[in-house]
Amino acid sequence: MTISNIQDPTLDTVADVLRLRNVTKYYGEFKAVDDLSFTLPRGSICGFLGPNGAGKTTTIRMILEIIKPTSGAITVLGRPSALEVRQRIGYLPEEKGLYKKMKTWAVIAYFATLKGLTKKAAKLRAYELLERYGLKDFANKPTDALSKGMGQKVQMLASLAHDPEFVILDEPFSGLDPVNQQVMEEIIRDMASRNRTVLFSTHVMQHAERLCDRILLIAKGKMIFDGTIPKAKEVIPRRVRLETEDDVAPLRELPEVKSLSLQPSSNGSTHWELELAEHADPQAILQTCFARGIRLRSFNQSDPTLHEVFMRLVGPEAKEASFR
Amino acid sequence: MKYAFLVAWREYVESTKAKGFWIGIFMMPLMLFLTIQVPILLEEKATPIRYFVLVDQSGTLAPAVDAALERTYQKQVVEALKHYAAKYSKPGRDWVAAQRATSALPQFDGDSAQSVDAFKSRGGKESFLEQLRPCLKPGAPAFKEPRRVFQAVPLPSGINPDADFALLVNDLKPYLRADKQLLVNGQPADLYVAILIPKDIESRIVRPKSQASAIKPQGLTTNYQIQYWSTDVTPAKAGYGLAHDVEQAVNAEVRRREYLARGLDSVVIHDVDRTYAPFASLNPKKEAGQEAVNETDVIRQWAPSGFVYLLWLAIFVIIQMLLNNTIEEKSNRIIEVLLSSVTPGELMMGKLFGIAAVGLTMVGAWMLALFGILSWKTGGASDFAGQLLVILKASNLVPLFSIYFLLGYLMYAAFILSIGSVCNSIKEAQSYMGVLTMVMMVPMLTMTFIPKDPNGPVARLLSWIPLYTPFTMMNRANADPPMFDLIGTFVLLVATTVLALWMCGKIFRIGILRTGQPPKIVEMMRWAVKKSQ
Repeated sequence: MTISNIQDPTLDTVADVLRLRNVTKYYGEFKAVDDLSFTLPRGSICGFLGPNGAGKTTTIRMILEIIKPTSGAITVLGRPSALEVRQRIGYLPEEKGLYKKMKTWAVIAYFATLKGLTKKAAKLRAYELLERYGLKDFANKPTDALSKGMGQKVQMLASLAHDPEFVILDEPFSGLDPVNQQVMEEIIRDMASRNRTVLFSTHVMQHAERLCDRILLIAKGKMIFDGTIPKAKEVIPRRVRLETEDDVAPLRELPEVKSLSLQPSSNGSTHWELELAEHADPQAILQTCFARGIRLRSFNQSDPTLHEVFMRLVGPEAKEASFR
Repeated sequence: MKYAFLVAWREYVESTKAKGFWIGIFMMPLMLFLTIQVPILLEEKATPIRYFVLVDQSGTLAPAVDAALERTYQKQVVEALKHYAAKYSKPGRDWVAAQRATSALPQFDGDSAQSVDAFKSRGGKESFLEQLRPCLKPGAPAFKEPRRVFQAVPLPSGINPDADFALLVNDLKPYLRADKQLLVNGQPADLYVAILIPKDIESRIVRPKSQASAIKPQGLTTNYQIQYWSTDVTPAKAGYGLAHDVEQAVNAEVRRREYLARGLDSVVIHDVDRTYAPFASLNPKKEAGQEAVNETDVIRQWAPSGFVYLLWLAIFVIIQMLLNNTIEEKSNRIIEVLLSSVTPGELMMGKLFGIAAVGLTMVGAWMLALFGILSWKTGGASDFAGQLLVILKASNLVPLFSIYFLLGYLMYAAFILSIGSVCNSIKEAQSYMGVLTMVMMVPMLTMTFIPKDPNGPVARLLSWIPLYTPFTMMNRANADPPMFDLIGTFVLLVATTVLALWMCGKIFRIGILRTGQPPKIVEMMRWAVKKSQ
């Protein structure tokens, strides 16, 4: 069997790298994943978000065919079985671990051979990756000599050593320092730029916000949101924050303003927070302020963050789940 | 299959790098070597010279004791000469000549006064070595006499040998307790033993049916018995060593006098004591003319027990390794990465055969070491090592050992992989392992019993329990078990192993991804028998 590890993905005619159709998974009586359907186009970076226990890891395991769905169909790289195309998939699990006594290069090379590389090619690739990512000095040390962050980096390299077309990363940023989080982001972007497809789960919304073309938000096993980030942000109204000593009553009557409330600021004083109606223009607020002589100390118009979207969409459920 | 092989290869390479493997490899040869060599070394080097004082207030028994100790020593000299001749004689015709010379050495059995005297009268050691000289290999070292371990020394100055025992013992105690030291040839030395013979020992002799003497006074204040004082209690109790020799010597002398006193001829009595009817143990299974049971037969009977022990050890060491490796992957969560690349079946097969290869390497090294050490230590076909070598080469012990090792390992590995797949740490595995170890103790407990009744009901029953088949059938290997047992138990063992592995596969698939508390054994059994999804 000859497996070229760097298959040109453009040769593959299947546009969708991943397709889930009505996937459901029961653990006994417990429904971990509930009728999940989505597709991932080639070359996309997709954030897989959701509170703890939402069913992310279960979904990922089903995609990788580590466990089988109770019902529904999963197609990976055009095949019904991920194991058929295992050489073309990379996976970094949520809980990271390495063989403690094995040398660092050997761990990377071992996982690469399991993905179809020859022993020789795998060894070369391991050294190359370790050198590129600043771990050359640890290549011949056992992995228990690595710090937690370094170990995680090594595992990341191990999951990418065969240059997969489709990579699933479960919490790739946890445990990394800011510098290495940056490195990780670059790795992900680099893969996408080479038409590789990345699906990653995270709890840190900033990463998702910076990286993703698209987010999938699930809670209690159900799909809550599937779409681009701008679309996600439309879910919650835009807001304007202003600071003034004057009476803001005139603003209440504007059709653009849905609600108005006094909020404490971080510096000890207070500010007004205005929730805007859909498609409202914040400029209208500013004009009204000038017209009515409301003197502003500050005027801030901000898009909602993904964090806020997340809290809005799954906040109550996540809370409920954690107190269950 | 390619992926299972990759997993197996990693298991093999990493396990053979581990310390445990090398300890396992060297443990057996080291133990074998030590069991052969240490007693010899201790005998030669570690036993210090034991100094003793003999106070004979009766004045009549000391010469008899001295003579007896001298005879004991001469026995050792003769043994050393025999060993020397066997070890350094040239092979071939000369070796035969040396054997003949050796056979001229006195055989010591029973009362050896005569034979030692005969040895001495034929010129003793010097004459023997003279005869041996032409037969020796070139470069053979000169014969070294064994050391005299027990040496008599005079009483320390200032101690009155005629004093009452209570006083005498009081004076000697500091020396015996090593609070004070003797001076021997100007060197300080510890007093090992004090032997005190009371003045009136003649009147204290205990005779059967003699009521008067049978009443023993209490305590040690009265000097009615021969006293052997030493802080080292072992030789006094164990029936050998100085205390034994002294007691024997004294009683031999006392009896000799008794014969004289009762008007009996002690020489006649001695001859009568050595009168016997010839007796032979024969084995009907052996070839005609060779039926006599000899040392080789005894070794043949017991050699399988050694292999049972090795088998047990090998399986135990290897399954432990398998457990550690499985739990490592599980506790480090490496398993998820693995399962995104290989199926649980491939992973299981890989681990199973990778560790099997480790085990075969270890067992192979043991066999090489066994033959190596035996060939190196043997001085010819006559000694233990030589006989064992002959038996091993002639019997099917080694091939049977390999087969039973492999099957036994695979069967127990099924349990281990099931346990390993559901446990997140070695600690969690302990409780399951406790049960398994208890199950595995049975062959160890019956190991020495089975050779005594190798085709009896217990042996047969255990043979038909697949968990014990490898050990028990190995144990019976040299006792010609019935063909029915041999083949029947083998078939049953293979079937059980296949079934166990099949069930293990199902448990492994479910267990390996589980986190949290390990399940009850009953629950695992349910996984094993339920239809796969």
